[in-house]
Amino acid sequence: MKKIYIVAIVMVAVAIGLLTSAADDMSTYATFEDAATNGERVKIAGQLAKDKEMYYNPEEDPNYFSFYIRDAEGEERKVVLLSEKPQDFELSEQIVLTGSMKGDEFVATDMLMKCPSKYKDEEVYIKSEASKS
Amino acid sequence: MQDIQYVGEHLVPGYIGQAAIMLGFSAALLAAVAYFFATQKRDKVAEANNWLRIGRWSFLVHGIAIFTLIGTMFYVMINQYYEYQYVQAHVSEDLPMKYIFSAFWEGQEGSFLLWMFWHIVLGMVLMGTAKKWEAPTLSIVSLVQVFIGSMILGVYVGFGDDPTRVGSNPMLLLRQTMDAPIFASADYVEQIAGTGLNPLLQNYWMTIHPPTLFLGFASTTIPFAYAIAALWTQDHKSWLKPGLRWSLFSGAILGTGILMGGAWAYEALSFGGYWAWDPVENMSLVPWLILIAGIHTNLVANATGQSIRSTYVFYLLTFVLIVYSTFLTRSGVLGDTSVHAFTEMGLETQLVLFNVFFLLLGAVLLGVRYSSVPTPKKEEATASKEFWMFIGSLVLLFSAALITASTSLPVYNKIMAYFDPNYIGRVITDPIPHYNKYQIWIAVFIGLLSGVSQYLRYKERNFSKYAPKFLLHSGIALGVSGGLTYLTSLWIDLQAWQYSTMLFFAWYTVVSNLDYLFSFAKSNLKMAGSVVAHGGFGLMIVGILASGLNQEVISNNPFVMEGLIEGASEEQMRKNVLLFKNSPLIMDDYRVTYVEDTVEQFTRTFTVNYQKLDSTGQVVEEFNLYPNILYDKSFTKIAASNPSTKRYLERDIFTHIASLPQVEIDMEYRQAREDSLNYKPYRAMPGETISFLDTVPIRDRDTFFVKQYEATVLGVDRSPTHPDYHKEQGDLPIGLDMKIQRLDEDSVFRIKPVLVLREQMLYSYPVQINDISTKVRLNEGIFDAVFGRELDMEYEPFTFKQGDKINYNGHEIQFAGFNKNPEHPNYEPQEDDVAVSAMVSVQGNNGQAYTAQPVYLIRGNSPFNLKDEIPELGLHFRFTGIDPKTETIELMIGQAEGVQQALPFEVATDSLRSDYIVLEAIEFPGINLFWAGTILMMLGLLMSMFFRIGQRRASLGA
Repeated sequence: MKKIYIVAIVMVAVAIGLLTSAADDMSTYATFEDAATNGERVKIAGQLAKDKEMYYNPEEDPNYFSFYIRDAEGEERKVVLLSEKPQDFELSEQIVLTGSMKGDEFVATDMLMKCPSKYKDEEVYIKSEASKS
Repeated sequence: MQDIQYVGEHLVPGYIGQAAIMLGFSAALLAAVAYFFATQKRDKVAEANNWLRIGRWSFLVHGIAIFTLIGTMFYVMINQYYEYQYVQAHVSEDLPMKYIFSAFWEGQEGSFLLWMFWHIVLGMVLMGTAKKWEAPTLSIVSLVQVFIGSMILGVYVGFGDDPTRVGSNPMLLLRQTMDAPIFASADYVEQIAGTGLNPLLQNYWMTIHPPTLFLGFASTTIPFAYAIAALWTQDHKSWLKPGLRWSLFSGAILGTGILMGGAWAYEALSFGGYWAWDPVENMSLVPWLILIAGIHTNLVANATGQSIRSTYVFYLLTFVLIVYSTFLTRSGVLGDTSVHAFTEMGLETQLVLFNVFFLLLGAVLLGVRYSSVPTPKKEEATASKEFWMFIGSLVLLFSAALITASTSLPVYNKIMAYFDPNYIGRVITDPIPHYNKYQIWIAVFIGLLSGVSQYLRYKERNFSKYAPKFLLHSGIALGVSGGLTYLTSLWIDLQAWQYSTMLFFAWYTVVSNLDYLFSFAKSNLKMAGSVVAHGGFGLMIVGILASGLNQEVISNNPFVMEGLIEGASEEQMRKNVLLFKNSPLIMDDYRVTYVEDTVEQFTRTFTVNYQKLDSTGQVVEEFNLYPNILYDKSFTKIAASNPSTKRYLERDIFTHIASLPQVEIDMEYRQAREDSLNYKPYRAMPGETISFLDTVPIRDRDTFFVKQYEATVLGVDRSPTHPDYHKEQGDLPIGLDMKIQRLDEDSVFRIKPVLVLREQMLYSYPVQINDISTKVRLNEGIFDAVFGRELDMEYEPFTFKQGDKINYNGHEIQFAGFNKNPEHPNYEPQEDDVAVSAMVSVQGNNGQAYTAQPVYLIRGNSPFNLKDEIPELGLHFRFTGIDPKTETIELMIGQAEGVQQALPFEVATDSLRSDYIVLEAIEFPGINLFWAGTILMMLGLLMSMFFRIGQRRASLGA
């Protein structure tokens, strides 16, 4: 057998090993209930509860922004983001948070917002046109 | 919609554009077919030449058509024909011309065209240089153009009620893409405005990054085309040299494109770093890694005849992965995981087809031809250069596979969900540690291999004889690297043994490559490119470790309230600090002060002063940073926040505005806030001090304090200044010079609120005193109070000679002389003015001395005069005439009747302070090593390419 093949086989084995162990780095999108039960760092995807209070007062703490999120199960919880309030936050449709539950609050260190973009609009136009013709 | 005769539309460019799209698409298809037959029939020279001619002409026509389309699009964009959907979506009236290119490739269609543009340029080069490879390679390039061209076709295929749309046409009119009531009016063109370019993209990086990246993308097509061509024509050897030249070019350009993305993120966006393992970044890196692996096996193949098969695999894979990355970023599948993915546009199916087609083309062709690819009988020796270069390529492939696997998780989720609707998608919780964890070891191996294999020799037959030299140099290099690693550890904190290992092998690469250059390669220029590239790689790793491990958030205010959130683990996440204007804050080794801010159009620039302090608190260095924010057009939100960075050789200090007070972000909110302030009116005579009580809310809580204030009116200013007030002709401004103090604090504030009467409208310029949360403004009563008693005033004429003195109502008034350069608050000199003022000195009946300077001027043959007054005495002077014969002047003098009135003003004590910024500041040590290293890598690739082009020229000339 050629040495190259041996090296290649070892690499494939290591790759499979690594990717299997990487399963620990992965999770599914959790709900607040999951986060409360397991207490671990999780990702939560949800909708902004636009009727609830959003609080950011930099004079008090420039790294404290709180708001309410409705998770996939429809549960609403207070979320604390340890950062400034991002621009266009009110416009966001879907929010993905990384963090963990601390008491009744979900403390997030990372947040990704999906905002409606102009491409989205285009898509709508195009769809309506396609169904019309 | 019924037939409307629209007015104001420019339809001709649209017709030209549509024709160009169709022609470009068809010509590409024809070129692909003609070049295909030119290759197939290559044994019959005459027939092949006919096909070749058709192929060339078709490709040229294709090029002309696409250039025409691009030209037409620029034409409609520059002329702002908003009836075109693409223009409306990407251009706006206030878009500076320099961003017209950015606007062009901001959209998906424009960026597809940019990609096609480069294919045409590269295709032309191939046509001129590829000789016998022209037909097969251009057949492939044309085929790629057919696929990309289909993305901008915008035609409907299929029957019935639901035809499939193929591509998104950039030349459509707005009214063809959407249904809106506005299209019921024939002159709708007049009524629409453009959306414009996203302010985040209004940046020179957006001008240079996409063309470079797309040239990189397009250039990977050429090695791919060569690989396909070679498999197709079963000429497995002679393509290797041109293939290598092209892939070196591609490696340098694609690499530069990726780096520009990182530099953009670091320098101009507020990401706070150059690499974040974002899916979009990952998927541009992966093809580059594979391409670099391919370059190495290609070198091996050139030198030894080994690894031809793997060279095929790598070049085929590079292009397929470029298309895959296009699919990921443009199909919307990354939506939840990436910051900068496009959202879907209905092109997913086409992108998948594009990808699958070329994947199958490569895989099938390689499968069919696999056994015909020559491989030397003899296996490479373990101590040979080619063996370890090949291992290195496998490591790169391994790295790419890991990154691709993790990045493709959303795709995997989508596929699983397709088969099992109950499948719950998985996601990487913390991407950055996840990727770093594995790539550390990739870097260690690459560091080791690019050192070791540099010393080894191709086709090693007698290693035992060479071994002593090899061991000596390797040993020295290892020793020197150990020393350098130790020295580096004094500068940066390495935190874990894994990082130390990584650093050691990075230095090892640098040292062994330098050693190799001087001890072995000497006069051999051929190796210089390789040494520069690998040494650059080592430096880059050192830079990554320094700037990544030891980046320090210096805006970490230790005084910020503790215990608000349980557990201190998030403490490092607190990266923002609140900075009040002119209140210095100690941050790390710096004393940082927010000095001032200036607004120019939509940009507000902040001056932030940094003073570096030594251990005794002495200032050792001082500099200013100027981060800015860009408001949107309505001044209701921040559209972009641009950082500012102080660069040193060994570190950077990065600063950006994370947030501002709400009243400074949103001018509508500010107005609402101003309207809701609880202003209370007060009055005081000039010179009088009044005191008053007011309740003060304690920052949005329900507690109130009663505080005592004192206000003093010092006088009226008829030509006041105020930071927000810009004087216009015909203004009647009044300012009140005041002092105000809140008695629980020592500071007394000298302020001057201003009220301006301009064309029957009142404009108020209040003064905010942030330290005591107080705002003072004037109301219209001030005009009555100041001017009221002058209404009934009567002037009396007097004639003066210079030096004459008179007595007027007990005041002694003397005409002291002329001033040929009069200064008067309301006088702005114009050309051809003849102006002079009379110097009037007054000894008041109160014992005080005053002066006044009324002005007399002739402008355009008409005499004018500008009055002056002595408000303390109520005396007013007009200079109404000069008699040159008698050398006398006429002065009108009047005195205001009645008592002086108290002057009204209003004070609100609930105006919360708004003079602060929320600042983020990060120190990146050693970041220049990263940039230098990456630039050297690209330079090394280019050097290798130019060397090989030179070699070819020499061999052709010989």
